[in-house]
Amino acid sequence: MKTGDVQEPQAFEHEVPPTFTPGEPLLTCEKLVIGYNDKPMLPPIDMVIRRGQFVAVVGRNGSGKSTWFKTLLGMIQPVSGSITRASPDMRSAYVPQTSAIDSLLPIRARELASWGRLRGWSFLWPFSRKVDRDAVEKALETSGARAIAPRPYRELSEGQKQRTLLARLIATEADLVLLDEPTAAMDAVAERETMQRLCALARKRGLGVVVVVHDLEVAAEHADILFFVDRETSAFVVGDAKTVFCHPAFRRQYGDEYCHKAPEGPHRGPDAR
Amino acid sequence: MLAEPSKWDEFLAGFELFRDPLLCALIAGGVLGFLSVYVVLRRMVFVSAAVAQSAGLGVALAFYASIHLGMHVEPVVGATLMALAATLLLMTEPTKLRLTRESLLGLAYALAGGAAVLVGDRIAQEAHDIQGILFGTAVLVTPEQLHTVAIAGAVVMVLHLWWYRGITFASFDRIGALVQGLPVRLLDGALMVSIGVMVGVCARALGALPVFAFSTLSAIAALMLELRLPWTFFVATLAGAISGVGGYLFAYFFDFPVGGSQTVLAGVLVAVAMGLRSLMGLFQRAR
Repeated sequence: MKTGDVQEPQAFEHEVPPTFTPGEPLLTCEKLVIGYNDKPMLPPIDMVIRRGQFVAVVGRNGSGKSTWFKTLLGMIQPVSGSITRASPDMRSAYVPQTSAIDSLLPIRARELASWGRLRGWSFLWPFSRKVDRDAVEKALETSGARAIAPRPYRELSEGQKQRTLLARLIATEADLVLLDEPTAAMDAVAERETMQRLCALARKRGLGVVVVVHDLEVAAEHADILFFVDRETSAFVVGDAKTVFCHPAFRRQYGDEYCHKAPEGPHRGPDAR
Repeated sequence: MLAEPSKWDEFLAGFELFRDPLLCALIAGGVLGFLSVYVVLRRMVFVSAAVAQSAGLGVALAFYASIHLGMHVEPVVGATLMALAATLLLMTEPTKLRLTRESLLGLAYALAGGAAVLVGDRIAQEAHDIQGILFGTAVLVTPEQLHTVAIAGAVVMVLHLWWYRGITFASFDRIGALVQGLPVRLLDGALMVSIGVMVGVCARALGALPVFAFSTLSAIAALMLELRLPWTFFVATLAGAISGVGGYLFAYFFDFPVGGSQTVLAGVLVAVAMGLRSLMGLFQRAR
């Protein structure tokens, strides 16, 4: 069979349960001050990310989103304050933008997904174990990427690449997942499908999912809670879409339009209305 | 009247002489070919050039120390130390110095090259050796050089095959690897030190020019074939080994300089891979 003839899977796990209650805290920031070289970028941040919660981070370019994100990932030391994890061995995973994987890299989708099984010093065992191979196959199945698994990653469409990265994410069996603009460069259909998959992952598997997004309508439609970051006005606003979109700092950057359109209350899943 | 022995007969008769340089070219080409996949895919092609140039300076400094300072320093030690120093400089995060990676490469390349010329001026009696380091005249390789290349090559290959999964993940998705708790700095350091050591010891034995060719062109040839990542590493290793051994034989049979022959053969393999890729494309379209 030619690679171009690969059939897309029809059934995948993306239905969002109609009811949802956020679970235990996974990550707690207390008086967290982020910045570089001991220079604060934003006022102290207090927030909690819970199990099963789908969090969208919004803000303009240069607003401090990436710095906050990198601080959560442990790549930058906070200026002050604390980040407390639910347990020391809590697993985190990061999903880069689809374009972050070099287009020259001759890697198959399955191999890329298998990186999700590496953790700490596990690479010291040079061969993948059966349990890992099975977990990768299951993750590929769950994310709807099984049919594209033998294909080179660079030849996949944006939506297929994202499914491969989701398979990697599922294979990590992480508790907390951070995604950097996962829907960048996607068309509206692929974007919606990806957000539904992420939402379903958060609910069904009890993951904490934190996503940086630029499309505010998509954020309002899918997220339980939004974080608005704005360095210019020193604002870090946490709340549902209405709370965030009607905040003065937000309106100063984006205008009043979103405040009028924002749904009331927390998100209950796109299929639950 | 007796017929003159052919080149081939001469080669077989004197094989003892050629065995060490051939083995050295095979090991150096193979190991540098393997590492070339990282060099090319991580866009570090000129790292290899700067490190090789620094190895040349290391050899010049070793001769200078022996002649003028009365200190005996093995040239291979000088080459390896300078190659490692250049590698460590290039591992520095350039944004901390408000510079780009290219700026550091330019600094290392130009400084090492200029300093090698200055030091070379004061050790005129060893000028031939310096030329050999820079352009490759590996007609003969001493047993010590072969042992050094073989030991360094074996250690590097064992480490890289053992840590393959970790080094590839950390190399091609650094943040993902960091978040999943891999020791990214160690893995990165292992890769860079491997490149520094191999370039250092091989530049002393074979010359900087073929070392640069093995550590870049081998991967370019392999990547042309669009294979899976493990096969890309395998083909790059093979291409490096073929360039090393084939270049040496070509130089012997057609009376050309060794380093230049090895470099040109590595380039020819890239052209062959391009041809194969076109053929594969035609074949796939025909199906």
